[in-house]
Amino acid sequence: MNTDASRNDLVKRGNSTLGVAAVLLAAGALLGALLGALALFEAFAVTDAVAGLSIARWFGVLLAGLGVALLGVGATSRAGLVRSEPDRTAGPVAGVAFSLVGLVIGGLLASQTLGFGTLWPIGALIVGAVALLLTVYPRGDLGATLPSGLLSLFTGIVVATGVIAPGWSWSPIPGSFTLPGDIAVPLLAIVVGFLVAWMAARAYGGFGTQGKQASAYLLVSASAAGMLALLVVLVSYIVVRGWAPMTEGVKWGLFWANWTYFYVPPIHRYVVIDGPVLWFHWPFVMNGHALLNDVNGIMPAIVGTVWLVLGAIVFAVPLGVGAAVFLTEYAGQSRFTQLVEVSTNGLWSTPSIVYGLFGWAFLVPRLGNGFSILSGQLVLGFMLLPLVIITSREALTSVPNAYRDASAALGVGKWETIKSVVLPAAMPGVTTGIILGIGRIAGETAPILLVAAGSPFPSDAPNVLTSFQLSATPPFVTNDALLQATSALPYQLYAVITAGVNKNAGLAWGTALVLLLVVLSFYAIGIASRIYFRKRLEA
Amino acid sequence: MSTADGGRFGRLQNLDEGTRRVGAGSAVTIVATVAAFLLFPAATIYPLLGFLAVVAYGWWRYQEATAKVVMALMTASTVVILGLITLYLLWQSVPVLRQMGIGLLTHVGATMWSPNDGVFSLVPMMWGTFLTTIIAMCVAGPLGIAGALFTSEMAPRWAREIIKPAIEVLAGIPSIVYGFLGFVIVNDYMMRELSLPIYGSLFGAGVVIGLMALPTIVSVAEDALAAVPDEMKDGSVALGATSWQTITAVTLPSAFSGVSAAIILGVGRALGETMAVTVMLAHTQTLPDPLYDVFGPNGQETLTSLIASQYGIASGDHMSALFAAGVVLFITVLTLSIGSQLVEARMREKLGGGA
Repeated sequence: MNTDASRNDLVKRGNSTLGVAAVLLAAGALLGALLGALALFEAFAVTDAVAGLSIARWFGVLLAGLGVALLGVGATSRAGLVRSEPDRTAGPVAGVAFSLVGLVIGGLLASQTLGFGTLWPIGALIVGAVALLLTVYPRGDLGATLPSGLLSLFTGIVVATGVIAPGWSWSPIPGSFTLPGDIAVPLLAIVVGFLVAWMAARAYGGFGTQGKQASAYLLVSASAAGMLALLVVLVSYIVVRGWAPMTEGVKWGLFWANWTYFYVPPIHRYVVIDGPVLWFHWPFVMNGHALLNDVNGIMPAIVGTVWLVLGAIVFAVPLGVGAAVFLTEYAGQSRFTQLVEVSTNGLWSTPSIVYGLFGWAFLVPRLGNGFSILSGQLVLGFMLLPLVIITSREALTSVPNAYRDASAALGVGKWETIKSVVLPAAMPGVTTGIILGIGRIAGETAPILLVAAGSPFPSDAPNVLTSFQLSATPPFVTNDALLQATSALPYQLYAVITAGVNKNAGLAWGTALVLLLVVLSFYAIGIASRIYFRKRLEA
Repeated sequence: MSTADGGRFGRLQNLDEGTRRVGAGSAVTIVATVAAFLLFPAATIYPLLGFLAVVAYGWWRYQEATAKVVMALMTASTVVILGLITLYLLWQSVPVLRQMGIGLLTHVGATMWSPNDGVFSLVPMMWGTFLTTIIAMCVAGPLGIAGALFTSEMAPRWAREIIKPAIEVLAGIPSIVYGFLGFVIVNDYMMRELSLPIYGSLFGAGVVIGLMALPTIVSVAEDALAAVPDEMKDGSVALGATSWQTITAVTLPSAFSGVSAAIILGVGRALGETMAVTVMLAHTQTLPDPLYDVFGPNGQETLTSLIASQYGIASGDHMSALFAAGVVLFITVLTLSIGSQLVEARMREKLGGGA
């Protein structure tokens, strides 16, 4: 059996000299872009010299070289020296992209270098039109390589000869920003590098349909990889910076200490029972703020967040699940259901600051006339409510009707059916939705800032549990702690920022990390349980 | 009990006795509770106790009916809460509207926001919101769609099963954390490298908001792309199209509504984003000069950061003006939300209910 038959000429892969050259080109261009990004993030200084030439100039040399190589690849393909299947034209997407680049370059040349003044659009249009023509008019291989090769060569020469060098600067709007050369050079390397890599990928696929596929995949994958890398870097940066302050002074140990002792009357002696005791002290999450603390911590903020979230759950979950059951099981499709749907979706997308504003002006004066945990709980509850309704409805509608029919066929009433069949079946979905909702409201800052925020650096946590008091006069049950302002994790971070990050850098990064851990663990648990229950449902 | 007299009254009479008794009792007491809370907050407890008594009695006597009535009340209260928020915002913003007239939304001059002189124009803030949203969408739009395409169409199965939940978890990063990073890293970097005249810029804030909206857009757009039936893609591939041709000619057009709903959702997020802009901007209630200058010291305020930075010092017309800012935000976002629902409904219709 000839196994090659299955991967023969049905789909042409870039395997020729053209393919090898294109891969090298694309790799060089992406390397240039990557180095540019590193220089932009100050991994190294572009003014440093390598082999007698500053890195900035090396960027220029690299770009010029890429340009020449790309032009060469295009020319050999056009001359028929290598096998390729070019389309008749490079296509409208490349045309638009390069004419935009041309517009920018033309505009800048005309206004900045040649001094056209207000006539700069003429220069922009001329260069843009030339770039468009160069891309769209020639055959696919030339159209793809000519404008990008020329662009790379031109930029490379400008950078390599030091026209745009680290000492160069440009401030187009007086009193606004100044673009220095050591930012401009890496930026140019990134933009031009991506454009060259894009067109090199076309060459890899032989400039035809396969080429377009390869180039699109390259661009999309590079963007996605860059995006993921950026998000991962963000999170790990917080972990790295926050870990030391968060774990500062953690002490623990295993001791042999007495558990309990009691007096035994007949023998007139105390009996002492000893056992191993784990002692654990984590100052950052167990301390408040005080002058004499070894490590100032955020315990009041953590406790505040717990109370706020608990209150929101107590308020929103029964209300939301009840509404969802009524809408799904009793109401059916009607005008009323539609109205509720629009309302819940509207509530769900309402910015949190609007809830905060409402709570500040409506709830705060009516509930003890001051910032209070209770107002914060209600406002967060308003925010949680729509999410609970939406996810509970989804979970309830996904319960198969056969369950309800079977229960009804046994002569069970509607409410009994809902209570003992439908709700248990929908429970996983409902719980998942609630967990995700908690993750969202636990990180909300704006509403807390407006209705519940107290001292920025509190020393004690609100004492809600022990503050309940019964009385003979209305409202019979009072809790002073609930009517007091509190801190909360997101508010704590805001307070540190407004108080000045430099003075409290450790506290800020540590708080950010704890907040991130709390919120993301809610999300992780919610999403993991959703995946688990979905898999179990499908199995 | 006859249905002959028809109409609403007839329908009420049709309800069984339990529903009627519990319904009437609980409706009266709950309305009394709300009224008491609004008018005499101290006396709220009496009607509330009455309501609880009615429900407890109903639960013991007619459980089925009580459950239904209570859940109907819960549903109604959701609608009432949205209505309450909307009406209260509108009502509170009336005084400034009476003072400024339509100038609240259009007045442009040397002084546009000065609580001391009683001049309140939301123009600079609306422009600031517009600029930051545009910048944010320039970052999040292309990257978000690329991310969704990659996750849904290009990544191998194992990678997709890691990336998808990871992106969803990332969508949960609180905005204050982004604000903190923006304040410490982005603002600092731009100040140092671009010699900005003031600590903070619309550009930096817009980029940070864009990053924040990114996971949401990826995750919603990915759902839309994954909802395109495999048969449609297979048909295209069977005709000899490459997978990229299939994506551009079949997958993206059929998921177009869903992808645009994702973008609309992202715009909503960017508009309503509060903490990052509050922390990062310099709070200057002027128009940038020139208008497109997103680096300069002027115009650094959005509708959300205006409310968050001034609620503490506001009273009278000033407070009312903050409510007007809230109303503008609320209406814009509500419009976007309804728009995206319509778009999604269209998509469901187009794909034959398979989504």
